[in-house]
Amino acid sequence: MELYLEALGAELAALREPAPVETIFIGGGTPTYLDPSRLQRLLAEVTRWLPLRANGEFSIESTPDSIDENKVAILAAAGVNRVSIGAQSFHPHLLRVLERRHEPAQVSKAVDAVRQVGAQVSLDLIFGVPGQTLAEWDADLRQALRLAPDHMSTYGLTYEKGTRLWKQWKRGDVRPLEEDDELALYTHAMDTLETAGFEHYEISNFARPGCRSRHNQVYWANLPHHGFGVGAARYINGRRELNTRDLKEYMRRVLSGESAAFQSEELDPEERARETIAIQIRRSDGIDRHGFRVQTGFDLDTLAGAALANHAALGFVADDGAGVRLTRRGRCVADALIRDLL
Amino acid sequence: MTQTNLIRNFSIIAHIDHGKSTLADQFLLKTGAISQRDFRAQVLDGMDLERERGITIRMHPVTVYHEHAGQRYELNLIDTPGHVDFNYEVSRSLAACEGVILLVDAFQGVQAQTVANAFLAMEHNLTIVPVLNKIDLPIARPDAVIAEMEQALAIEPTGVLRASGKAGIGIEEVLAAIIERVPPPQGKADEPLRALVYNSHFDTYKGVVVYVRVMEGTLKKGERIKLMRGATEHEVSDVGQFRPAMTNCDELGPGQVGFFMAQLKNIQDVHIGDTVTDALHPATTALPGYKVPKAMVYSGLYPINNRDFEALREALAKLRLNDSSFTFLPENSEGLGFGFRCGFLGLLHREIIQQRLERDSELELVQTAPNTTYEILTRKGEILNIDSPQKVPDAGQIEEFREPIVRISFLLPSENIGDLMGLCSERFGVFIRTEYLSPTRAMLVYEMPLAEVIYDLYDKLKSVTHGYGTMDYEVLAYRPADLVRLDVLVAGKRVDALSTIVHRAQADRRGRSLVKKLRNEIDRHLFEVVLQAAIGSRIIARESIAPLKKNVTAKCYGGDISRKRKLWAKQAAGKKRMKQVGQVEIPQEAFLAVLESDEP
Repeated sequence: MELYLEALGAELAALREPAPVETIFIGGGTPTYLDPSRLQRLLAEVTRWLPLRANGEFSIESTPDSIDENKVAILAAAGVNRVSIGAQSFHPHLLRVLERRHEPAQVSKAVDAVRQVGAQVSLDLIFGVPGQTLAEWDADLRQALRLAPDHMSTYGLTYEKGTRLWKQWKRGDVRPLEEDDELALYTHAMDTLETAGFEHYEISNFARPGCRSRHNQVYWANLPHHGFGVGAARYINGRRELNTRDLKEYMRRVLSGESAAFQSEELDPEERARETIAIQIRRSDGIDRHGFRVQTGFDLDTLAGAALANHAALGFVADDGAGVRLTRRGRCVADALIRDLL
Repeated sequence: MTQTNLIRNFSIIAHIDHGKSTLADQFLLKTGAISQRDFRAQVLDGMDLERERGITIRMHPVTVYHEHAGQRYELNLIDTPGHVDFNYEVSRSLAACEGVILLVDAFQGVQAQTVANAFLAMEHNLTIVPVLNKIDLPIARPDAVIAEMEQALAIEPTGVLRASGKAGIGIEEVLAAIIERVPPPQGKADEPLRALVYNSHFDTYKGVVVYVRVMEGTLKKGERIKLMRGATEHEVSDVGQFRPAMTNCDELGPGQVGFFMAQLKNIQDVHIGDTVTDALHPATTALPGYKVPKAMVYSGLYPINNRDFEALREALAKLRLNDSSFTFLPENSEGLGFGFRCGFLGLLHREIIQQRLERDSELELVQTAPNTTYEILTRKGEILNIDSPQKVPDAGQIEEFREPIVRISFLLPSENIGDLMGLCSERFGVFIRTEYLSPTRAMLVYEMPLAEVIYDLYDKLKSVTHGYGTMDYEVLAYRPADLVRLDVLVAGKRVDALSTIVHRAQADRRGRSLVKKLRNEIDRHLFEVVLQAAIGSRIIARESIAPLKKNVTAKCYGGDISRKRKLWAKQAAGKKRMKQVGQVEIPQEAFLAVLESDEP
């Protein structure tokens, strides 16, 4: 771990001089599992090379069992002002299926600790877990709402190739929910959270007014961003790069002065514009025609006008002339719509 | 030039997989035409496709020399295809021979194509040398199979030779029997030249290579010849034999088999069955020649991308260069756009053409379900030839709807006779006769519509006989039947490429099973897709495909974007490979669902 922090420092140092940023997000894994001193070192390395501008957003990902008052104090001292907590569920049997090791009770403690230092709280929940009922999901949502988070992410369970769950599914040991049931869980989240005053601003994300994740909105606008660490992605000057996901390889490369990137691609302008459609359409703000032209140089309707009109006629897309956005029904089948738009 | 008394011309006829090519290879090896080192199993099946499928389609001739009783004999082996689709080609090669080896698998025994091919040889008055192959197999049952041959084909048991192509057993004896039993050719060198054109192929460098069997006279290099059918004259630039590689010589005398070239650029200029004669001293009459084979099975071939239409035309024209039995004409389908109506000798022929197309061109194609040809007598007294369901006129205009009827012979274990008779009667078969070859094997003869044969009969036969049944058929005539066009509507729109012609009595059942199969082939859409089967305006079956309800990626952050975009792009490309009919995307498989059997 020491070596990893050293490597990360080296990768950051390749910037040569500090690059002030609007937002920082430390995540993709659980940085708060680091012991206090290493966590402190991580934060120091990051803020040294990526100083946060005034009123910037500094988020970190965590789990209920990896933060306490002590660590929260360290985070706050480094300038972290938004903590995302992977609650996932408040039902022990569902947490077991998901292989999460925390207890439901740890969630409220974690939330209290974060609140103490005045940082914003985001809670992650997962739905569509094998065996999950609508009543259980409703209870999860209500329990999360009682903790009064500023932001919530609800993720439909994905069977990622290579995970244990994926193998169990392939072997037939677990059965994914029926499509109708999964749909019911998703629409129930939309109903419940919107009623509670949240804005559904991206497929899987809800925020109280003014509390949207600024960092993630950069991804969803398809705008440039840095990325450091093992498996990190960056999008700079029209080029997408992905660092190696192999920890040893990452350390070897960075510490010997090589680039950690193992995948790199530069799309041509039209492909980039089409990618922007695919990403932006997932936002509640959708795609603004004028903004799209300014950002990509392409006319939205030239690229996807026919498909959008067709989707609008079927009630999946709303078009107010200035821009297009998914309707509630459209959000449920976004991937199928995106295939048509590409 | 070899004296005619030292020439023997023969073919090997056999049911598929009875070991014809392996035996032919042994002849090459034993006579020294190829060395052991160059020996590649089944040299004669040159084309990859043929090798893969273990069937011989083209006729590859080969000339070998063999010492027998102190004399050096020239043996010309003219290979024949072993599948029912290519019966016509068998007939072509037999016309160039005086004898045949009738090869029968010592375990499998007499099969449908053994009988069909043996009868063809008898019709051509050829000497039959019967040979049992695979005699070394532990499961071989030579005595029983010899009894079957006697019963089915009146073969004299004492004349049957025993061999194994694979183990090289009995090859000398077979070569000796060819020399002793097959009569030498009869023609004389001083008569006017008559040579039978029995095949040809197009070579990119050499032009058309014409395969001939000289009947009388001599074909020489430099000679001015006339192709009697079109009365066109050409100068012979090369003459040669297949040994097995093309080997030039100065001339081919009477009875000899080989090739010539004469700067012919277009394979269409050379008619199979034509007679080659000397332009200066022409023969007075041509040889009998052949009937032109008639395509009996048609299907539509469409490029997925309409821009590929011309490229498809070129690819088809190229295939036709070496296969004149395959035909194609442009057609237009409402659902599929511009494509071609292609005619084939049979289903295997169709499959082979499709595979060659896919292999040789990069084109992505949709193929419609095959149908047979039909005849319609209209109220006005005209006769229409129907090669596509789309061409069937309104019911009001039809006086009589006729379909091709075949005589079909099955050879099968006697215990499966009952099941097969059931199958045949469901398929409008009319029983002709049963014949027992042995207590355990029987031949069953039926007349039935060709459409029923191509629908699923072969698969059904294999399944009721556990693989031991075989069949062979020949087209008899067109006969009137109560036929209707069964249409399919996808989202209310008729898809002409999914129409079929069926017997009215089975229309309901076929219609129901067809829309059910289509429901499984077509992906869910963003809306409900209704599938209907109809006869005229009457709907006889309906199915619906429920709309997609949830299909959304949960996480799409910085590190996911690249991967997701690639995934979406791949799926979008997959959609583009489908045919769009109205708002509905139909995959290629759906167009073939029409053909599949009703039961799984």
